[in-house]
Amino acid sequence: MKSAIRLGMVVVSVLAVIGLMAPVGALAAEAVKIGVIYPLTGGAAAEGRELRAGAELAAEIINAVYKNISMDMAKSQGIKSLGSAKIELVFKDHEGNPTLGADLAKKLILDDKVVGIMGCYHSAVTKTVSAVCEQYGVPMINDSSTSPDLTKRGFKWFWRTTPHDTTFTTDLFNFLKGLTEGKAKGVKAVPKAQIQNLASACEKTEWGSNVSALIESFAKEYGFTVKKSILYAAKSTDLSSEVGSLKAVKPDVMLFASYASDAILMLKTLKAQKAQPKVLWGQDAGFEAPEFKDTLRDDIVGVLTRTVFLPKVASVKKVAGEVDGFYQKKVGHSLSGASARAFTGVQAWAAVLEKAGSTKPADIQKAANAIKIPADQLIVPWQGIQFATSGEDIGQNILGSGMIGQYQKDKDGKISLEIAYPFDLATANLIFPFPGY
Amino acid sequence: MEILLSALVSGLLLGLVLALVALGLTIIFGVMDIVNFAHGEFLMVGMYTGLLTAQGLGIDPLLTLPVAGAVGFLLGIVCYFGFIKFLLRGPMVAQLLGTFGLMLFLRNLALLIFGSEDRALHHGLLVGKSFDIGMGVIVSATKLAAAGLSVAAFVAVWLFMNRTRIGKALTATALNRSAARYMGIPTERMNALAWGAGGASVTIAGALIVNFWSVNPFIGLLFTMIAFAIVALGGFGSVPGAFFAGLVVGLIMEIPGFWDFFMFTFNADWMAKVPMTSFKYMWVYLAYFVIMVVRPRGLFGWKH
Repeated sequence: MKSAIRLGMVVVSVLAVIGLMAPVGALAAEAVKIGVIYPLTGGAAAEGRELRAGAELAAEIINAVYKNISMDMAKSQGIKSLGSAKIELVFKDHEGNPTLGADLAKKLILDDKVVGIMGCYHSAVTKTVSAVCEQYGVPMINDSSTSPDLTKRGFKWFWRTTPHDTTFTTDLFNFLKGLTEGKAKGVKAVPKAQIQNLASACEKTEWGSNVSALIESFAKEYGFTVKKSILYAAKSTDLSSEVGSLKAVKPDVMLFASYASDAILMLKTLKAQKAQPKVLWGQDAGFEAPEFKDTLRDDIVGVLTRTVFLPKVASVKKVAGEVDGFYQKKVGHSLSGASARAFTGVQAWAAVLEKAGSTKPADIQKAANAIKIPADQLIVPWQGIQFATSGEDIGQNILGSGMIGQYQKDKDGKISLEIAYPFDLATANLIFPFPGY
Repeated sequence: MEILLSALVSGLLLGLVLALVALGLTIIFGVMDIVNFAHGEFLMVGMYTGLLTAQGLGIDPLLTLPVAGAVGFLLGIVCYFGFIKFLLRGPMVAQLLGTFGLMLFLRNLALLIFGSEDRALHHGLLVGKSFDIGMGVIVSATKLAAAGLSVAAFVAVWLFMNRTRIGKALTATALNRSAARYMGIPTERMNALAWGAGGASVTIAGALIVNFWSVNPFIGLLFTMIAFAIVALGGFGSVPGAFFAGLVVGLIMEIPGFWDFFMFTFNADWMAKVPMTSFKYMWVYLAYFVIMVVRPRGLFGWKH
């Protein structure tokens, strides 16, 4: 009798557990899982946090109705064509390590059964992760890696929303050329001889070494001289010999591609060694990380960085202002290039799923190749999102564009980025030459 | 010319700083024949101590040096009595793996407590200051102070080891432990003292260098490796050896600077194409490798 009671209790509790799980299971089956691989710890952890916050905000807006945000995805709950399925982001941390990234991608695909992948910020990691996706036939949308080579491999399962470094480096040289033509706001035409000599220092992984090569080739095309180009390890503890080497050629323009901690160390060392370039430009990443501004403060007034999003965009673009306000309420500061691009990446995922109306890889592939997101839906100042399906840059968004910002101090002593390029959007007079230390 | 001078000065300063980092390793090795793999993690502890004390109490980072020294001394003693003492009974491999484990433990503890981000000091008497000493040579104030402290620490340790009773007892323990014990030297206490002194010297170095370098839980490894190269180059256990080897390693790390000098002197354009800075640590480890093959006891090491 006792054992019969015990058996009965076990049966009842098992049923109860199954009963509790059933609705959750039903919900889980509905949600569309996207694996998101970012550097959440390690040297780029600060950017990782930004990226994550941007992506989470986009998912939040997709999954609920927000009347005060004038985006299509804010008007309904979840993905309409999938029966209002919600988007669930599964975050993984690659620590800036390409091998780990590839392992995580496999895990997401095989264990978590994600519908697709997004990430990974570091171009070197995106390279290995996209290779895994290609192998398994799982779609990947890259939101934030800018090495041009990534879309030159003819992959069928890889799409990139952000413009890449060829676009950004073209912007840089158009900016320098414009400077000599007197196009920069508040600065008279600068004789070319004054900014003729360039020197670059880039971190030596996939991304930085590509930027370095691009700078060399564009300099030739635009008639500038690269006096020195250095590749350095982003994990260095000391950059004094690098800075010494840059200073030795007395460059007019110093160009950098750095992640966060090395960007800070580089600027500190430049200051300690009293470097005197006329222009100091960074290729986004570390130069735009919040801790870059918080740590260096007044020392970065006059520093230029390429970017895809400045808080100032919010004042000229309505939808950017609305989302930025929401982001500020949640995170405590304005959107950055990293968070704005992560947001846009998730947005692109939602639009692709909406168009596909299915979670089958082949349908997603077809939808991604056919999609067009208009400019008025985006918080970034692009013409829209449309992926190339032929030519050299397969999977690249052909409607993206970049900007160059300059750190300036306003009347209240607050340091923020002003738009310096495109010249017709400039929000403040350019500080030229760089004030120096 | 100013390129050569700059490279020379910055190499020597960096060398002095690195020698200071290696000093503790050489003290511990000299007395106990134990290679402390956790040495870089001790440095990290010193850096965090300096940073957090300065930020927490709102005092100048320079005033945190004694605090860091005390923390390092205690850490060394605790590690010895709680851990190393037992390892000494085991074979050499146990000692190697033991300190390796200590390294992993300290690193992950730091990761747990502080997170993985880089942290840096923004304020302080020396932070971000530098002077022009003429001839185009610019010296950062913190490096100069660290270099000065390094010289002072080496002189103090040398005097201590050679001129005081306790120091002589330490040296005796280092030379022959059993003979020292027969002579009535409390070798157990000497070992603990070596760990305390080694720990204190490296945490003081850490609290000083956090003035110009940022800290994260992974920073130890790079310094451990450089400290090993220095100690091997100078000779395991030799205090003057570590000093001179530190200078040599500092100069080796400035090879890109010397390369630039020759490039300008000979006006050789092909030299500009060689990515010297990408390989700056390679030369250090190459020197380490060569010295290990050619003269395993290092430049000043004792013959056993």
